[in-house]
Amino acid sequence: MSEILRTEGLTKEYAKKIAVSDVSMSVSEGDIVGIMGPSGSGKSTLFRLINLLERPTRGKIVFDGNEISTSSPDVHLIRRKMALVLQKPSAMNRNVFNNVAFGLQLRQVEKGETERRVSDYLERLGLTESRERNARSLSGGEMQRMCFARSVIVEPKLLLLDEFTANLDPQNISILEKAVRDFVNQGGRAAVVITHNPFQAKRLCNRAALMMNGGIVEEGETLRIFNNPTDERTKAFVSGEMVF
Amino acid sequence: MVDAVTYDVVQITLLSLYVSGSATILGSLIGVPLGAAVGLKEFGGKGLLKTITYTMYGFPPVISGLFIYYIFSRAGPLGDFGILFTPTAMILAQTLLVIPLVAGVTITSVSEVDKNIKNTVLSLGASDRQATFTVIKEAWVGVITAVMIGFGRAIAEVGAAYMVGGNIEGKTRILTTSIMLETRMGHFGYAIGLGVVLLIVACGVFLFMRWLQERELL
Amino acid sequence: MKDKSPLVGIIVLAIVMILLMGSVAIQPGRQRLTLATTTSAYDSGLLEKILPNFESKYDCIVDVIAVGSGQTMEIGKNGDADVLLVHSPASEKQFVKDGYGTSRTLVAYNQFVIVGPESDPAGVSQAVNATDAFKRIYQNGTEGNAIFVSRGDLSGTHTKEKSIWVKAGLNVSTFSNTWYLSTGQGMGAVLDITEQQTNKGYTLSDEATYYTRRETGIIPHLEILNQGDPLLYNQYSVIPVNPDRWPSVNATLATDFVNWITSPEIQNMIGNFTDAYGHKLFVPNAGPGSVAETHTLSSQFQAVIAIRTD
Repeated sequence: MSEILRTEGLTKEYAKKIAVSDVSMSVSEGDIVGIMGPSGSGKSTLFRLINLLERPTRGKIVFDGNEISTSSPDVHLIRRKMALVLQKPSAMNRNVFNNVAFGLQLRQVEKGETERRVSDYLERLGLTESRERNARSLSGGEMQRMCFARSVIVEPKLLLLDEFTANLDPQNISILEKAVRDFVNQGGRAAVVITHNPFQAKRLCNRAALMMNGGIVEEGETLRIFNNPTDERTKAFVSGEMVF
Repeated sequence: MVDAVTYDVVQITLLSLYVSGSATILGSLIGVPLGAAVGLKEFGGKGLLKTITYTMYGFPPVISGLFIYYIFSRAGPLGDFGILFTPTAMILAQTLLVIPLVAGVTITSVSEVDKNIKNTVLSLGASDRQATFTVIKEAWVGVITAVMIGFGRAIAEVGAAYMVGGNIEGKTRILTTSIMLETRMGHFGYAIGLGVVLLIVACGVFLFMRWLQERELL
Repeated sequence: MKDKSPLVGIIVLAIVMILLMGSVAIQPGRQRLTLATTTSAYDSGLLEKILPNFESKYDCIVDVIAVGSGQTMEIGKNGDADVLLVHSPASEKQFVKDGYGTSRTLVAYNQFVIVGPESDPAGVSQAVNATDAFKRIYQNGTEGNAIFVSRGDLSGTHTKEKSIWVKAGLNVSTFSNTWYLSTGQGMGAVLDITEQQTNKGYTLSDEATYYTRRETGIIPHLEILNQGDPLLYNQYSVIPVNPDRWPSVNATLATDFVNWITSPEIQNMIGNFTDAYGHKLFVPNAGPGSVAETHTLSSQFQAVIAIRTD
């Protein structure tokens, strides 16, 4: 299985705080990797570094075989192969169709093709009826489904999901998790999921990692992490003792 | 044969719209991208630049007029263009007043756009320029408001237009400067009439733009 | 289906602007003469009456800029106009002497009048001449019975006013602002302010502005209390801007203007000109010997310009 993403010693330091500390990880084709940990442990910052929205203080990122950095020319073209879905959905002030189609429009995909692909995703995420509605009028769950569709429709190689189902009801969570699985199973791609919810990690992810104070404490196959954690902190986390 | 007075008023009104409209367009073409750039980027001195822009809301029209008068007089640095006492000079003077207003309101509107939208748009693979345009589109209502406010400032001012235009009949006489002239000459009735026309015209433009907005054409 | 495009509105507005540009900015391609004059000259309505004659005779358009005398002279010095019509003889002579103007030719004169309240507390109507009148105003002003409102803007009227104070042996800079109001305003506004100084306000005004405001009821309490002193004559002259100094001026047309305004036909028109209320305001005095000063031009322009010398 080809490696989609690898980070080596990735670090981000701010004046008063080390947000990400020496993170080395590897994500292969077909993986859905869960990243868990308390608030402020650097998970979101890690995503921003990978997505080249911020520059690391130290460390290396290799994506799809190439080393990438914020000083690469055409950073935005690199980003086109990744997708970032955040916890709080942000809808653009246009209708649902045009929100979802946005990425395709950026890439100047032909109109008929856009129509086809957008309709397909709207269907899969139960949004067909809301096609013409202004996206801002959607409910939280609908909006998040729309944002998901918007991000994956451009067929990124790497899907970065930052607590993307927090605050949603079980039905929406279920629809979205299924969509992630379907997406990754199409081959040639992977997903990394930041989650607070150990149950979600167990459901969705084949591998999991615990992040604390910017560093990775332990990582491995999901079932092993939960059933046989080696590190003390991991033990505390999976047993539910750690409050965050 | 059109009544001479009516013809005058029509001609003066059209010139007012031309001068202030052009200044608004020119000022917006400069002010909107400027405001968007400042609103979206983080950089040292951003706070200072914003403060200066907002302070320039109150930039006195007479000073703008004085400045344009000085540099475009034949005796001045750019005198060879022969622009003084022409509508062009008036447009330039009013543009200086419009730019800070449009830029400032744009900065505010653009800043209010959800930060995540810009990040989302960037993560979907938009270049910096595309992302800026998308954010401007999100802030569109605010941007149009900025332009309308700019127009309000231009159509209402009299000091700069009078100084750099010379109030020449048939050439640089607009509604506001006409009112000054007629008052000076003691024709208060005519001056008030012109004032009413000015109010109607200014309101008319705003109403028209609102109408376009409501039909989602603007 | 896409959202309605906001571009439609922009396109509509763009079309409107283009139409405006077409209707407004396209000016006929005739020659233009820029004439800088004073507000009092302009407001009298004389130019409106006689300029069409010039415009049709020489197939051109005259752009008239009317500002205070001080600024009119500055406009001439800066080369922003082709010809000046002003009424400040001392400044004009200096202007031509310094080389800013080609020549100074007398055109006509009108009169200043001293106006004040009907009650005339200072007894200006009994003054034997303008100097005496001003002395009386000064006397009563310092005693608190009178107020003098001045243009204070270096206009021709203001210059005349100052010269009368000098002739009366008084120093304007010592005048207290409790009775001497220096306003920096045009003639109309100054008359309005004088009217406001109930039973006390005096000022120096040109006839035309006074009559207009009086007849339209704006200054019902001001009367003409003293006039006729030759010191109160207000001489208008025409000065073409020197093309040696500012080659961009329309020297030919400016000379044509001088010749035209001093021609018998136009001088007649000026003499017969009345304001809306029937008052004749101007006495034409261009004639033999009316070319008061000249400035020798470089040869490049001499061939083009003919100056009246008879």
